[in-house]
Amino acid sequence: MQPVLTLNGICKSYGKIQALKNVAFEVPEGSVFGILGPNGSGKTTMLSIILDILKADAGSFAWFGQPGSPETRKQIGSLLETPNFYHYLSAVDNLNITHAISGRGSAADIDHVLEIVKLSERKRSRFSAYSLGMKQRLAIAAALLGDPQVLVFDEPTNGLDPVGIAEIRELIKELARRGKTIIMASHLLDEVEKVCTHVAILKKGTLLTAGPVDEVLTNEDIVELSCSNPIHLHDLLIGFPGHTHIKLEGNKVQLFFPIGTAPMEDINRYCFEKGITLNLLFAKKKSLETKFFELTND
Amino acid sequence: MFALIKIEWLKIKKYPAFWWMLGIVALTYPGTNSMAYVGYLKATTGKALSNNLAKMFLGNPFAFPDAWHSVAYFSSFFILLPSILVIMMVTNEYTFRTHRQNIIDGWSRSQYITSKLFDVLIISVIVTLVYVLAAAGFGVYADSSSVNRWTEGLQYIPLFLLQTFAQLTIAFLLGYLIKKAFIALGIFLFYYLIVENIAVTYARFKMNDIGRFLPFEMSDRLIPAPPFFSRMGKDAKEAYTRLIGLIPEHVVYTIVLTILIWIICYAIHKRRDL
Repeated sequence: MQPVLTLNGICKSYGKIQALKNVAFEVPEGSVFGILGPNGSGKTTMLSIILDILKADAGSFAWFGQPGSPETRKQIGSLLETPNFYHYLSAVDNLNITHAISGRGSAADIDHVLEIVKLSERKRSRFSAYSLGMKQRLAIAAALLGDPQVLVFDEPTNGLDPVGIAEIRELIKELARRGKTIIMASHLLDEVEKVCTHVAILKKGTLLTAGPVDEVLTNEDIVELSCSNPIHLHDLLIGFPGHTHIKLEGNKVQLFFPIGTAPMEDINRYCFEKGITLNLLFAKKKSLETKFFELTND
Repeated sequence: MFALIKIEWLKIKKYPAFWWMLGIVALTYPGTNSMAYVGYLKATTGKALSNNLAKMFLGNPFAFPDAWHSVAYFSSFFILLPSILVIMMVTNEYTFRTHRQNIIDGWSRSQYITSKLFDVLIISVIVTLVYVLAAAGFGVYADSSSVNRWTEGLQYIPLFLLQTFAQLTIAFLLGYLIKKAFIALGIFLFYYLIVENIAVTYARFKMNDIGRFLPFEMSDRLIPAPPFFSRMGKDAKEAYTRLIGLIPEHVVYTIVLTILIWIICYAIHKRRDL
């Protein structure tokens, strides 16, 4: 299947600072693709390049197999960095301009997207009178206009309250269910873990890893165990064969195995035969946060 | 092309500063010329010898056919009013970061500059219309007996349009490059009102008048002082005749400079990070 977006060796420098170093990956159709990285890692620079706001020093990118162009951008709903609108115009007037430039949507669609982001009641108010959260909602509405197949969201939950964040998360899940391809940059690891099918992690302009979330997060098996005497359990499991290392975390013991080798039944039997009755035994997936810190910590 | 104009109109039509500035221009152009006209009436009305001499020297600069020339000349002093609007319109795009959003939404970079070119052109046309209405009004009001000569001197309409477009193009360039409204306005006013006037005056006496090639002066010479200045003596007549003769040359210089500025804007916008 043709990838929605392909990046090949993208490089970008600001003076002496190299913001992106030979970044290359593909975004498959229908995926929710999270782009993660600490502040200054190059996430927004990368999104700006694929939207023709910044010029890459080297490398290329293709949307739908075609080099980036105004025509390809018209098919993509995008929110880049901040909500960018004419302050003296209302939500409806601003979306009319989005519609006129992109050709996406219609007058009826404008009402519809404003309803989705819960701005209908304030649709005639000037943009300058909006709160930060309302501005962000309008930017999301502009991206949704005309129901594009591909959406680019740069920190979509910026400025939103907890309810707003949950609503946008649900919206992204709903869009994903409808087969949309979503490319999303975020600091909020929890957000990304909850909605993304694929992830790319950037650090100081270098792509550390990219691929399906399960593949990126799983590079070892973690088995978590507990019993009434965790210290004794820990000492006992040191002698269990095949594990790479062991950790005592509070009243839980974590046993690490090479990927796909954790013998759950054998562990249970081993403990029982040694006179320990477990009250917890499960294979744990590494959290995105753990993986992120592992990869990005110096 | 029509789509670009339509989108620019969507941006402009609810921009309060646009309508305020338009109102100010609509009042200032006839207002300034009215003040000059009142001055003319005071100098020429009456039976004293001085009144008759003034009448003889001045003729009637506000009657046809001189009205086209005189009103264009007095109105051209106020190019800074629409210039403020042009600078605000281009710097607003940076302030609101809509210069990026327009591209994200699907404009090409050259379409963006073309849309701004249309903004400058539309404002120039509106300003020229105000001038035409003011000149026509004065022409009819000042001396109804010469109304039949209204077709003489019509060349000042395209000259005024070209001058306005050329000078607003310079204002656009400043706003486009500087990006900050107040800094761009400050530099524009300082250069337009002070630096170039000093340089042109100095060059006129010391440097064989090369000041006429400075950006604003180049198009200022499209509309020299009205004919009554030529009646102030032999030197004035010679100077006036020379300036009128140089107009076609300055039309060419102005067009070349204006095209060059827009080419520079297109080239910069094609390459630069937004």
